[in-house]
Amino acid sequence: MSTRSTARPQAPAVPRRSKRTEILENRPVNLDGFVEEWPEVGMVAMDSPYDPRPGVRVRDGVIVEMDGRERKDFDFLDQFIADHAIDAEAAGRAMALSAVEIAHLLVDPKVSRRDVLAVSCGLTPAKLLEVVKTMNVVEMMMALQKMRARRTPANQGHSTSARDNPVQVAADAAEAGLRGFRELETTLGVVRYAPLVAIALQVGAQAGKPGVLTQCALEEATELELGMRGITGYAETISVYGTEAVFCDGDDTPWSKAFLASAYASRGIKMRFTSGTGSEVQMGNAEGRSMLYLEIRCILVAKGAGVQGLQNGSISCIGVPGAVPSGIRAVLAENLVASTVDLECASGNDQSFSHSDMRRTARLMPQLLPGTDFICSGYSAVPNYDNMFAGSNLDPEDFDDWNAIQRDLQVDGALRHVPEAEILAARSRAARALQGVFAHLGLAPITDREIEAVIYSHGSKELPPRDVLEDLKSAQSVMDRGVTGLDIVKGLEAGGFPDMAEALLGVLRQRVSGDLLHTSAILTPELTTLSAVNDANDYAGPGSGYRPSGARWEEMKRLRHVVSARNPEQEVG
Amino acid sequence: MSDAELDPQRDYPLASHRPELLRTPTGKRIDELTMAAVLAGEVAAEDLRIAPETLRLQAQIADSVGRPQLGQNFRRAAELTALPDDKVLGIYNALRPRASTRQELTAIADELEHDYSATLCARLVREAADVYERRGILAS
Repeated sequence: MSTRSTARPQAPAVPRRSKRTEILENRPVNLDGFVEEWPEVGMVAMDSPYDPRPGVRVRDGVIVEMDGRERKDFDFLDQFIADHAIDAEAAGRAMALSAVEIAHLLVDPKVSRRDVLAVSCGLTPAKLLEVVKTMNVVEMMMALQKMRARRTPANQGHSTSARDNPVQVAADAAEAGLRGFRELETTLGVVRYAPLVAIALQVGAQAGKPGVLTQCALEEATELELGMRGITGYAETISVYGTEAVFCDGDDTPWSKAFLASAYASRGIKMRFTSGTGSEVQMGNAEGRSMLYLEIRCILVAKGAGVQGLQNGSISCIGVPGAVPSGIRAVLAENLVASTVDLECASGNDQSFSHSDMRRTARLMPQLLPGTDFICSGYSAVPNYDNMFAGSNLDPEDFDDWNAIQRDLQVDGALRHVPEAEILAARSRAARALQGVFAHLGLAPITDREIEAVIYSHGSKELPPRDVLEDLKSAQSVMDRGVTGLDIVKGLEAGGFPDMAEALLGVLRQRVSGDLLHTSAILTPELTTLSAVNDANDYAGPGSGYRPSGARWEEMKRLRHVVSARNPEQEVG
Repeated sequence: MSDAELDPQRDYPLASHRPELLRTPTGKRIDELTMAAVLAGEVAAEDLRIAPETLRLQAQIADSVGRPQLGQNFRRAAELTALPDDKVLGIYNALRPRASTRQELTAIADELEHDYSATLCARLVREAADVYERRGILAS
């Protein structure tokens, strides 16, 4: 640990401070923002005197009162949740249990996941809030270990570029795939670049390990269009909000989002919604409710819409819960509630929130230790300055730390150490394949010089600048000519990358079967679907559930520098 | 083919265990979607879509593993397979807050029902129209 100590003479008027105070003042954690609670405007994580009291009244199979509100006074979220998310038949029995009793069901490994679901399907938002309020973070982690839908944890990475450089996006996607990410996400600085960068991500992803799924975060309608064309493989940026006013500001309603969910499924495309604590207070209309209460409403809107999963854990608003007391506990609670209502959970550890390495790590542990469907819903696989999602809690500089933590604790964070030669080969393959695809499609050319640079680069600053105008013309022509995923397959084949063409065709073929539409689905490198249907979480206490073993544990033991026990001079890799 | 009784343990993923049940909307078998066929120009983008029958099979699986909302989403999706992309995008945009009058939403619901037999989607749109009216978020 380094400290910056500069001995300066004190001005006479300033009270003398201790050396230790000065050292603490200069610690990175004091660059973070901390704010006191203000429940009246919703600036409170999960314990507000203004949150409603739980309750439900059912008449003729219809919920006529929920959490202290009569049906005629329901806002649109209340009505959607009451009519689509909550099983009215189960509600009476489930709501009769005390919050503590339900929390015990969650924590107790002898109570099966299925038995918890039989209760959770009848709970109202205020009741779910009461339940998690009785739990500390260790209890929540115990519960999350059991309630996560997919047995095997996975991870998602970001591959973006400050210059929207498609060559960089492809190379970083290939490396990320090789390191273990099963989903990759991109977005843009200049939105018009989207088609080129989405193609680059799709191509690069197949250069590392086959079957990596890709998405491009854009405005909802554009995102759907790229998905329909097969230029992206899934979608995630389908935002929902916890108050009616903010939902409308986001230009959507639960019904428009439910329709969108069906639209994606109608084209065989996997998708999840996105929400998170803090968005409503950040957008200025939290109706005086706690962040977690509003987030639980979002979770139940996702459930009611019939979408298979949700990205939550505050995400792009992490600075808000991160600043208030118990905020990071609330972020864990939102992941737990999503899993408790049987949704796939891509659990945050996404946008950066702290200057402190200790806080960054502490914020990660509650998802890494129990395991979630996607531990990060955006581990930055590019340097911070290239991250177009405003940075991430994890950066490429953290790859070796992550791998060491996995090995130390024998906890599977779904990544692995990869020798440099393999990484360079994959980066090269991705860039050359993209060069071939661009040539095949008549897009702005990629030079050998760019390829040579990208293989060895860390970020966009080390790359030759591209002709932005030509790129944007190319991007437009992709849209105008109606280029599809199938054209990318043909381009890969024509460019001399038949195995990558085969892998991408395999990914696109998944649309025909719809297997990937199920909860928590990913594709294995053998292009088989692994989801909560055929890989259901079976945790039932010590000795059960997913534990890294066999080949995977051997892989996790490898780090950049491991020495032979017999000969400390010799590295075993 | 939607009459098949599926056992999620035995039959899922369908692509691996029950490929004979799967057809593209253009009537091709999934094992016909090969690289050779792509290169021969025998596979078009329309072939890489899901058929309504397949979505109903997946709905059956979702129901039988205790996910009724997911199953219902797949059934609405099965209906939407018949709609062209721009029509789907158009309805989505029409459902945004203050984007449509009650009459416009009703017309969409009627069209869904009469032209596409999309009764579940029509019901969703009608429900939206009722709620939007009560909450004052129809277009004025």
